[in-house]
Amino acid sequence: MRPGRFASRDARVWKETPPRRKKSIRVEFTRSCASAHVRYRFSFFTAFLFYSLDGPASVMLKGNDLSEQPNAGDQNMTFFLDRLTSLFRTKPRLKPTELQAAFRAHYKDFRALLTANNNALELMAEMEQALTAGRSFGMAFVRGNCTALSVNIYKMIHHLTRLADGRYTELDQPFRAITRQLEQVIASRSANTEGAAILSMAEVDAGMVDQVGEKMANLGEVRNRVGLRTPDGFVITATAARHFIEANALQVEINRRLKGLDLDNLEELYTVSAGIQSLISNAPLPAALAEAILAHHQQLDTNPEAELLVALRSSALGEDSSNVSFAGQYRTQLNVSREFVPQAYKEIVAGKYKSQAIVYRQQRGFRHQDVHMCVGCLRMVEATISGVLYSRAPDDPRSPFVIIQAAPGLAASVVDGSASSEQLRVSRTPPHPIVHRASGMEQGRSLTEPQAAELATVGVLLEEHFGAPQDIEWSIDRAGLLYILQSRPLGHSVSEEAQESGKHRATTNDLPGPLLAGGVCASQGVGCGPVFTVRSSLDLLRFPRGAVLVIETPYPDWASLLNRAVAVVSETGQPAAHLATVAREFGIPAIFGMHRALATLENSSLITVDATAGKVYAGRVEPLLALAAPKPNLMAGSPVYKILTQALAHITPLNLTDPASPFFRPDGCQTLHDLTRFCHEKAVVEMFTFGERYGFDDKAAKQLVVENSPAQWWVIDLDDGFTPDFDPESRYIDLNHITSAPMQAIWQGMLAFPWAGPPPVSLGGFGSIIFQSTRNPNLDPAVRSAMAAKNYFLISRNFCNLSVRLGYHFALVEANLGEYLTENYVSFQFKGGAADENRRLLRIRLISKILGEFDFRVEQKVDAMTARIEKKPAPYLLERLTILGYLLIHTRQIDMIMADEGMAASYQQKIMADLHTLMDTPTER
Amino acid sequence: MSEFPILVVDDEEEFVSTLVQRLRKRGFAGEGVLSGSAAIARVAASDFAVILLDMRLPDMDGGQVLREIKKIRPGSRVVILTGHASASEGEEGIKNGAFDYLLKPVEFETLLEKLEAARERVP
Repeated sequence: MRPGRFASRDARVWKETPPRRKKSIRVEFTRSCASAHVRYRFSFFTAFLFYSLDGPASVMLKGNDLSEQPNAGDQNMTFFLDRLTSLFRTKPRLKPTELQAAFRAHYKDFRALLTANNNALELMAEMEQALTAGRSFGMAFVRGNCTALSVNIYKMIHHLTRLADGRYTELDQPFRAITRQLEQVIASRSANTEGAAILSMAEVDAGMVDQVGEKMANLGEVRNRVGLRTPDGFVITATAARHFIEANALQVEINRRLKGLDLDNLEELYTVSAGIQSLISNAPLPAALAEAILAHHQQLDTNPEAELLVALRSSALGEDSSNVSFAGQYRTQLNVSREFVPQAYKEIVAGKYKSQAIVYRQQRGFRHQDVHMCVGCLRMVEATISGVLYSRAPDDPRSPFVIIQAAPGLAASVVDGSASSEQLRVSRTPPHPIVHRASGMEQGRSLTEPQAAELATVGVLLEEHFGAPQDIEWSIDRAGLLYILQSRPLGHSVSEEAQESGKHRATTNDLPGPLLAGGVCASQGVGCGPVFTVRSSLDLLRFPRGAVLVIETPYPDWASLLNRAVAVVSETGQPAAHLATVAREFGIPAIFGMHRALATLENSSLITVDATAGKVYAGRVEPLLALAAPKPNLMAGSPVYKILTQALAHITPLNLTDPASPFFRPDGCQTLHDLTRFCHEKAVVEMFTFGERYGFDDKAAKQLVVENSPAQWWVIDLDDGFTPDFDPESRYIDLNHITSAPMQAIWQGMLAFPWAGPPPVSLGGFGSIIFQSTRNPNLDPAVRSAMAAKNYFLISRNFCNLSVRLGYHFALVEANLGEYLTENYVSFQFKGGAADENRRLLRIRLISKILGEFDFRVEQKVDAMTARIEKKPAPYLLERLTILGYLLIHTRQIDMIMADEGMAASYQQKIMADLHTLMDTPTER
Repeated sequence: MSEFPILVVDDEEEFVSTLVQRLRKRGFAGEGVLSGSAAIARVAASDFAVILLDMRLPDMDGGQVLREIKKIRPGSRVVILTGHASASEGEEGIKNGAFDYLLKPVEFETLLEKLEAARERVP
């Protein structure tokens, strides 16, 4: 903590509180430098004035530490003075309401920052995948994603600055520098190239994404480049949509209505969405556009016998339409007759403002005006049978068969799941025999063998053309002709697990049964090496070159190992995680979400990781390792591809991997990824140290009613931590009035087991635990005076921050159980006091070991320790809090273990047994 | 195809005329009115199978129109179709006998499905 960093805020707060006290503290402080007797006053002040969460400082503040540890000497004194200086400067005393307001504001910023962080990482992952996953994209995609990314990173910096009370403004400089470079890259190709308002399907291919949207560009490619039959029709382009909106001057009004829209207020959201859609649907089409649409429609009308019916399909442009959560949100209108075509067109354009789409764009930072709704107008196929075709099984991207789902009538019913259908597996190899058929359809209406074979041929053909497994919609008409209605990459719509790019080709015939299967592909490829499990920083140091990194959670910290690892297997995590981004950047195969990886994979055993298929095999599997090189990408070499590649150079490389490095600072940020990493790391630190930076008014604290405890436990409500019926005037509170789940969990752990080992003590409940541990003759004398100290819980319903001084140990527990997993954490800091250094180290090491057993990520610096768990569900974290509660009380036990090494093993066993009993799990893990 | 008369009550003329035309195209006997009082008068004169009712009308509150309709024909099926999303208004409507509550803009195909389902249930 740098002295004076809160200078401006201090001034404000001191104005609101009597300056007298500040003055007197300063006087005491000055004296303390020279005279030993003043130490007594420090104890007094720390106990009385301050909610001391300052870790080392609060320990040092006790006179005993200094007087009884002459060896600590100058270093302690300097540190002590520094800490004290910062304490007095940085800890304004807030009234209860002020404290609550400060907490709420910080918490809100923290959450907003995490959301922006997730958005940014997902956007980066999407842009990288666009380069490799064989999908077509245009400048609108590059521009839209870059803008959204910049917006999200700007938000992160903004919220971090607020969280940190105005610090980190220097991040603005690298942010501006990087975004300026990005703008230059993007500006090399002009934005809204004017094109035709309407394009016939005969003219469309994958290169025209910027005019017709991804869906129609792919369909045009199927028709004109692959040569398959698609319905006749035309596309009403992005240019047309822009003209329509501009001709009615709608954008200003739309933006006005969206401004200040509260996305959490569903009623407001739906009403605004309906209003905007109505605005668009009721606006007149420019006459020229209406005429052009009807003229093209006329050209389709070749059969005088029957009325021409068309399907109008949305084909969004300028945002990531491949996102699973977003697919299918836009509209399609079927069986539209001539007189309703203009109206149906307007309604589909209006569908851009469906409520989910508004939320999606607003949350992810896309600008509404950058998104255009292109609309395909296609002749309805008089379908007798329709369905969906996957060129590979979605859960096994190397399967040797295609999957067909078919139902009578239109394809929509299969997609909706509304019709009774049949499912077939058909061999990918000619003559494409049907391998398996599960039919829910009537006899005589199901797919024939030649039709199944034709579909399999089409599936293989389209997969090869697009370079990735495809998800294809199709119909067969009365004449038995097959029509392709849509083709898109499989992984995006069917299963997030199958992030397969189709780079590799292999049959599964030659392969042994996998050790593990079902993981998510975070970075494609195949790698082979010995298993090396990394649980702590210590393992990190011992990681051998050429090993497979096996971890529980893909923390960004492990990124430093990626230039040594041949593959990564993680039990948890998503492809959007930092570590996944880095793995892709390094080209290291990675599987995330691989359950039981740690339990199954033995250290130093040889395995082959097939990340593309999400599987792990024992030993060396040559057929997989010998897989062919990636297929050339459709987009590779195109100008847009080059621009995206250049843009990514300013976006994805991660230089800031180690928060402990001296280069982990704002001016070390060279890419947008660095900025997200820096902001995220610092935001967590700022949130963890909330309590450290704020003091409070005495009246804010309520004393917890605890029977026979020499220690005092005080509780401060930050938001909704007390039950509504609690009398705010009361000085005391009992547990029944505490709503905070994390506090209750800690407390439960504290009370769970009385201290049962030697020396003998009475089992008189909680008070005696504390009391006995205080009086234990084996312990340092510092304990006695300190036991009178107050310990503080800062709570809300889902948050708890507890500072404890038990003897000369200082411990801090903080937990947040939020609405989203990304907000959840438990953090534990522990610092041992005045024992000799060897004992301090042994003690910390033992606690680290115990916590490591319970999946905490432990960092140890000399005799201080930090343990964290993040992004886990609430029940899991509550268990960990109970464990911490137990350890807080039984640190005294640990001291005794340290005093007698011979007893260490049995006590450690006893502690582990207690903890496993607490968690209601077996002792053997 | 059995006669299945539908009354569309909404003050947006364009919306009413398009919806009525589309319904007729799909074999429903559609008819539209632009105000609450006109709706009540039509219901008094003729028995509609389904009444699609907007909640924001120029002359009356939609809830009031609903209550009047249910008074005249307690068995009529009134579907609230509104652009002003309000949970309390929806609950109130259902309490007063509304058959369903839909938010605008409803997909025409979705609306058709609901009407088809209702038609199938007609004795």
